[in-house]
Amino acid sequence: MKAIIILSALGLATMFVGVYNFKKALLPMILLGLLAVIGINTMEWNTNIHYYNDMLYFDNWAVSFTNLILAVSILVFLLSGQYFKKNTDHLEDNYSIIIFTIIGAILMVSYSNLAMLFIGIETLSISLYILAGSKKTSLASNEASLKYFLMGSFATGFLLFGIVLLYGASGTFHLHGIKDYVIENHASLPTIFYVGILLMMVGLAFKISIVPFHFWTADVYEGSPTLITAFMATVVKIAGFAAFLRLFFTCFSSITEHFVPILCILAVLTMFLGNITAVYQNNFKRMLAFSSISHAGYMLLAIIALKESSFIAILLYTAAYSVATITAFAVLLMIKAAHQENDSIDTFNGLAKRSPFMAFTLTIAMLSLAGIPITGGFFAKYYLFANTISAGYTWLVVLAVFNSAIGVYYYFKVIIAAYFKEGSEEKLSIFPAYQLVLIITAIATLLLGILPGLITEMM
Amino acid sequence: MATANPIDYLPIIIQFIVAIGFVIFGMIGSHLLGPKKHSKVKDDSFECGIEAQGNARLPFNVKYFLTAILFVLFDVEVIFMYPWAVNFRDNLGNGTWFWEMILFVVFLMLGFLYIIKKGALDWD
Repeated sequence: MKAIIILSALGLATMFVGVYNFKKALLPMILLGLLAVIGINTMEWNTNIHYYNDMLYFDNWAVSFTNLILAVSILVFLLSGQYFKKNTDHLEDNYSIIIFTIIGAILMVSYSNLAMLFIGIETLSISLYILAGSKKTSLASNEASLKYFLMGSFATGFLLFGIVLLYGASGTFHLHGIKDYVIENHASLPTIFYVGILLMMVGLAFKISIVPFHFWTADVYEGSPTLITAFMATVVKIAGFAAFLRLFFTCFSSITEHFVPILCILAVLTMFLGNITAVYQNNFKRMLAFSSISHAGYMLLAIIALKESSFIAILLYTAAYSVATITAFAVLLMIKAAHQENDSIDTFNGLAKRSPFMAFTLTIAMLSLAGIPITGGFFAKYYLFANTISAGYTWLVVLAVFNSAIGVYYYFKVIIAAYFKEGSEEKLSIFPAYQLVLIITAIATLLLGILPGLITEMM
Repeated sequence: MATANPIDYLPIIIQFIVAIGFVIFGMIGSHLLGPKKHSKVKDDSFECGIEAQGNARLPFNVKYFLTAILFVLFDVEVIFMYPWAVNFRDNLGNGTWFWEMILFVVFLMLGFLYIIKKGALDWD
């Protein structure tokens, strides 16, 4: 809760520091602010406070997801210094909108009332519509923004209808009120309640790009400025899945038989479509977009299992996925900064000779995304699948493992390009901030793989 | 609490039908009942008695939009003050009642300061 207040003040301060022309002070101020917020947020561990008439509920899950979001945002901000170096016209606006997006994400992981869920999703989405179009002169960026806005508005409509129908049936917006209502009327729930669940599912599935609500993903990821894509691919996924799981685990865990079959179908479709389409992509950003769709498919298994341990599964998985994705985007940004080349996978050709360090970190990230042992991605996948099997969905896990095997193919395409293909021989120098980010993400990926107990024991 | 059934929402559907019906009735009715005398002057678009000039689809300077949006923004904020002012006397005992509005106005001021500093109100 304190995190939200401090971040709001930080966002306002950013705007004013910018207009009074202290642009050099912006980035250090934001980084220090975010670090302070992580510290203050961690102090709410084990306090379990309900804020403002139970509008927000900061349990340990909310605190840990908030910390993950903040940590990933710090990595994105570290990358932003060089990224915005050439164009600082609207630097403070970009920064403050990113901070407001983070506030929306934190609301989404800590809500205890459907109204707060809606406010969180809207704060997140509206800020992202603007950020997606923040490269004003680029046609692709404008297209991405408009596409995301139109599709996102529709999804918001579905979400609102869902909230309204749930309210119409149960007479309350509070998650615990809805839970009590479901338990009391277990046998005789009205039809509108089920339709409400379905519509909420559609609205949330859009945000986390579950097939068949994924059509915006590739175009928006490709068109948006690369830094914003990195932010979107990580923070939105974390917040979206945490919100999805929080709603379904709290409210609907006693009537799983009514929606889990639908989620199973969506998960299978998402995994297959995401992976198979990713195989055919030549554009690295599009490939990562489809890979993010397939990862959403795997993560949906945790929601299908719908147990307390699903939270750990999602936390681990989003952490491993986000860290690896940030690495991939950092390397792409670095190569583009040197060459102004396109986003094709061929830009990685000969990377191992040009910069062994970047090739190595990129390899770790790709191995993690593919789920190869001793990386974080492997353990996250293992935990997620074990969690799903213990809930009795072995057939889904078989399909998911098969899909991971498809995934290995296109992730290794990048590694092969970096190590075995001939490219330009020119050495790549690396910005210190990027080097720092790559070191942090590589260590975090390995740490999550070797010592996952750090997270699982804590919970 | 009592369970709500879909049938309980019938009045809403009836209201929709009435609303749509009124529009359809009005359009068809005026078409059937109205006199049909055409002339160049009668078919002209009505512009307060002044002769219409040029095309309505002109590109406007984007500054008009900015000013209009800012006007709406600050105008709507005032709506929050009305219920506050109306209930002011009843809530004098409430310690934070006054300061909450001061805080709100301070935030409003910050926004105003920001748009001035950004140059959103400079016309040239």
